[in-house]
Parts: sequence; C-alpha cells; structure tokens
Amino acid sequence: MRRAHPVAWWGWALLLATAASRTGNPWLLALIVAVSGLVVTWCRGDEPWSGAYRVFLLIGGTAIAVRMVFYIVFGGADGATVLFTLPEVRLPDWAAGFRLGGAVTAEGALAAAYDGLRLATLLVCVGAANALASPRRLLRSMPAALYEVSVAVVVALSVAPQLVAGVARIRRARALRGTTGRGPAHFMRTVVVPVLHDALDRSLALAAAMASRGYGRAAGIPSRDRRATSAMLLTGLLGLCAGAYALLGSATPAPLAWSVLALGAAAAVFGIAFASARVPHTRYRTDRFSGRDWAVVASGAAAVAGTVAAAALDPGALWPAANPVSMPPVPPVAAAGIIAAAAPALLVPSARTAAAGRPA
Amino acid sequence: MAAASPRPVLRLRGGLAVALAAGFGLVAMGWPLLAEPGGVLTETTSGPWLFALLLPLVTAVALVQLSDGGMDARAVAMLGVLSAVVAAVRPFGAGAAGVETVFFLIVLAGRVFGPAFGFILGNTGLFASALLTGGVGPWMPYQMFASAFVGLGAGLLPGRAPASRGGRAAELAMLVAYALVASLAYGLMLNMSLWPFVFTQGELAYVPGAGPGENLPRLVAYTLATSLGWDIGRAVTTAVLIALTGPVLLKVLRRTARKARWL
Repeated sequence: MRRAHPVAWWGWALLLATAASRTGNPWLLALIVAVSGLVVTWCRGDEPWSGAYRVFLLIGGTAIAVRMVFYIVFGGADGATVLFTLPEVRLPDWAAGFRLGGAVTAEGALAAAYDGLRLATLLVCVGAANALASPRRLLRSMPAALYEVSVAVVVALSVAPQLVAGVARIRRARALRGTTGRGPAHFMRTVVVPVLHDALDRSLALAAAMASRGYGRAAGIPSRDRRATSAMLLTGLLGLCAGAYALLGSATPAPLAWSVLALGAAAAVFGIAFASARVPHTRYRTDRFSGRDWAVVASGAAAVAGTVAAAALDPGALWPAANPVSMPPVPPVAAAGIIAAAAPALLVPSARTAAAGRPA
Repeated sequence: MAAASPRPVLRLRGGLAVALAAGFGLVAMGWPLLAEPGGVLTETTSGPWLFALLLPLVTAVALVQLSDGGMDARAVAMLGVLSAVVAAVRPFGAGAAGVETVFFLIVLAGRVFGPAFGFILGNTGLFASALLTGGVGPWMPYQMFASAFVGLGAGLLPGRAPASRGGRAAELAMLVAYALVASLAYGLMLNMSLWPFVFTQGELAYVPGAGPGENLPRLVAYTLATSLGWDIGRAVTTAVLIALTGPVLLKVLRRTARKARWL
C-alpha cells in the first residue's frame, strides 16, 4: 500500500501550524506538538529525511531558550511577582533608551515562555512535514510549467552524493601519487579544481544525454498561447504588487486592498495552471491525490476549524493572560479539533509495521 | 543549434516579471518598516504569514516566466550540478558563526552564466540543499528569494570576460565589492523578514502601527543583539572566498561555458 501523498502531508502540517498560530494557550500548543509527534513516529519511513523531526524539536527548544534569554536581558512584559533582579543599565536616549537587565518577573517570564512555545510549535509542525513527505515525490508534483527547474533540482539531488564520492576518489588518487602538500592553495589546486571539473564535465555529458532524448527541447507552444500566459502571469504579479503596497498604506480601504491582492494571486495561480496545461510533456505513473490524502488534509483542517470555533465561543481561552499567573483553561472545542488531526496515524499504514508484516 | 550559448536569456517579459517580483519582495520583507501607522497590515497579525505563503507563488511566477519557451538542456544540467555543489558546500558554513559558503558560488556562477541563470541558481541551490538536509522551514522562501537576487545582481554587473591581467584583477575587485554589499543587504532583508515572527513583546519587538520612527531603533537594536556578527561574518567570508577561489573558479566555469557551446 502506498504512503500518503507528500502534498497531503505538507497541507496537513501547514494547517496544524495555522492552528498553532491562532492560539497562545500552552495546553493546546503542547497538544499540537504531541499530535505531530505521534503521527511522525507512526507514519514516517526509514528514509534519510525521516530524522528531520528530531532536529526541528531541537530548533524549537532553542527558540524557547533564546526567547527566555532575551526576555531576561532586554525585558518584556512586566508583572508584580519579582523572581530576581539583575543589575540594570539604561541606554542613552539616542539609543532609544532601552533598558538592559532589571527585575525578572514571573508574569513576564511566563509570557515569554508562551510566546517561545508558540514559535517552537510552528517549527515542529514544519519539521513533521519534513520528516513525512518524500522530497522526490514532492518534486514530481511540481506544476508542469516549472518542469525545467524541477528537473534541475532532481539532477542536483542525484549529483550531490556523487560529488562526495568524487572527493573521496580524487583524494585517494592524490595519496597514491604521493602528493603530500598541505595548505589551502594546494588543496584548491589538487582537490577542489579536479572535483569541480569532474562535476561540470559530467553535467555536459548529462546534457548531451538529455538532449538526445528530447529534454529541454523548445516545445512547440504557439506564440499566441505564450503571450496569453505571459499576460496572465504579469497581470497577477502586478495585482500582487499593487495589493501589497495598498496594504502598507492607509489611503486604500482594507477590503479593496485585500481583494486586489486576492485577484492578483488568483491570476498568478491561473497563469501557472494555464502554462502547465500547455506544456506537452507526458508523465510516467502520475502521482494521484487519493481519497485518503484528502482525509489527511481534512484532519489538519479540523484543527483549524476547532481553533476558529473556540475563538468564536470563548476568545479569552485561546490567549490566556500571563498576568496574573494562573493555570490556563483548556478550551474543549479546540482540543477536540487538534486531537482529530491525529487521524493520519490511523489512516496511513505505518511503514515499519508494513515492513515487519512482510514475510522475510 | 551547435553554436548557441547555454546561457538562458533574460528577455523583456522575464525581466519585467523579475522586476515586479522584486517590488513584491521589498514589501514582503521590509513591511515592518514600510507600513504606515493605521495601514491595513498593522491592524492584523496575519501579515507575516500571508507574505510567507505568497512569496513562493511570486517566485514560481518569476521562474515560469524566465524559463518561458523551454530552457536549454545544457542550462538545466549545469543548474543541477551547480545546485548540487551549493548544497554540498553549504554544511561547511553551518557549524561556525557567520561563515557562509554559498554566496561565492552563486555570485561567480551568476557572473559567468548571466542574470537569469544566477536567479534560478539562487532558488534551486537553496531549495536542493533544504531538501537534502530536511531543512524546509518558514525561512526558506525568504532565503531562496533573497539569494536569487544576489545571483541576478552578479549577472547584471557590467563588463565582459576580461582578457588582460589587469582586467581580471579589476573584475575580481568588482565581484568582491559586490559580494560585500550583497551579503550585507541579504542579512538585513532576512533580518527584517524574520523579526516580526521571532519577537512579539519586549523592547526589541516590532510594534505594529508605530511607524518607522519607533521601529527603526528597535530594528537596529535587534540587529545588533542578534545577527550583526553573522552578517559581517557572512560578508567577510564571501568576499575572502571570492578573492581566493575566484580566479580559478571563473576560469573553470568559463571553460565549461565555452565547451558547452560546441556540444
């Protein structure tokens, strides 16, 4: 049975991250981390990128630590409960009068910790997508209009290991020749230049092989279609620019600015789709989006729906106050939505159990 | 076709798309300073997320328009191999503070193969490296976008391949100066784009709706406190790497470009 589609995993993870960005409640954030951890341990495979989740957990932990250190040094929210006091330095007015050090309060530390936890949760959600989605399958789902660029990335992914092998081969040859010179200039001349020459010559051989199989041929797209695509893409970009600049200023009413931005984005997406439909490339074994993939995305959407519903019912519970220090409440609707986002653990077959169930 | 160049050409429509993308990118990265008090962006908290999602779309549109009508197979293969080299040298810089080993390659390749190639290489190189290391994060769209413009700028520098010794020295000096400016600008832009994400309170945080007068000192303080060492380190390592490896690498890349013409 095939694993879930990488686009489905990215959609699920980004929806979960959206849910995390809509709340500052530590219980909900911890629940999101737990759900993503459960799905990752259950559904990930044994590929090289499967370990990414742990790295992102570390990055998230660092984000919380950095946030705390900055709170202690530069201050932040104030409160009544003073934990300890650092020597205080006030910078002169030309340096905006910043305060360094000073009293560290429990309320401020709690607010900084909530803030750091939110950023950490977002990063962990992205880490889950990194661990679950296969980059090679993801590249196959790029729009056809970006065909050449995605081929270049595929080439890069397969050439990178060969480069490492190339370095080892050239170093061995150097040792066999008895070259013992050290120093960067020598290294440059005897290792870097040969490796690079080797790689570039190989790229020319690859280009010849690709050209002889019809890759990179100027495809016979009628110039009328190309002009139409360009017009759509440029209109889209123009709309996006105009919308973005309108959002900056206060002269344009908000609904107008948002709709110009949305129209620009729609024109750009439509232009890419139009260009993709005109590219006469066929694909071997297209990667289809199955019902299960939609279910994975829908479970992520459940988390967002939960936070939206909770915001309508009781907005205070999603953003618990750190001042005064108190136990934050658990909004049940939002928690239920986030737990529903763990559904992929049941829907998607675990790679490990599948491997264990196979007769040896 | 035999004597055609492998350089992807920057045509009028592609140039227009890149210019518009640059305009959008300026807002997407610099909005904390550019937003007027009372503007729409300062009223919501979704601004940074919106831009992080729209930036890949804008990059994709610029790339589609640049590769309009099909790219040469040699350009595709060369892009792939150089992206692999970028991905391979990037980890060397990750361990030490401020050592950046990516830009010198993008700058040199952009100089030899032209602005369109530099733009695409900035995107594909960082994308491939992020995929290889499983490091696709919210910072990636900004990094890809900014390094694409580093490559584009290197391709737009004036002058052709010099023949004399003095000309080569002048070219190298120009590339080193460009690398210093470009890496500092890159650091500042990335800083501004990540700033509203990282801090939402305290004296270093971005204040929505406060205007540049209030936010600029905060941004300067944030830069001093977090990344100035990194930014200077990046500029210095890039310049030193270009000065050291430039003469050899330019020769290697130009030889390949010459050979590719007769493939």
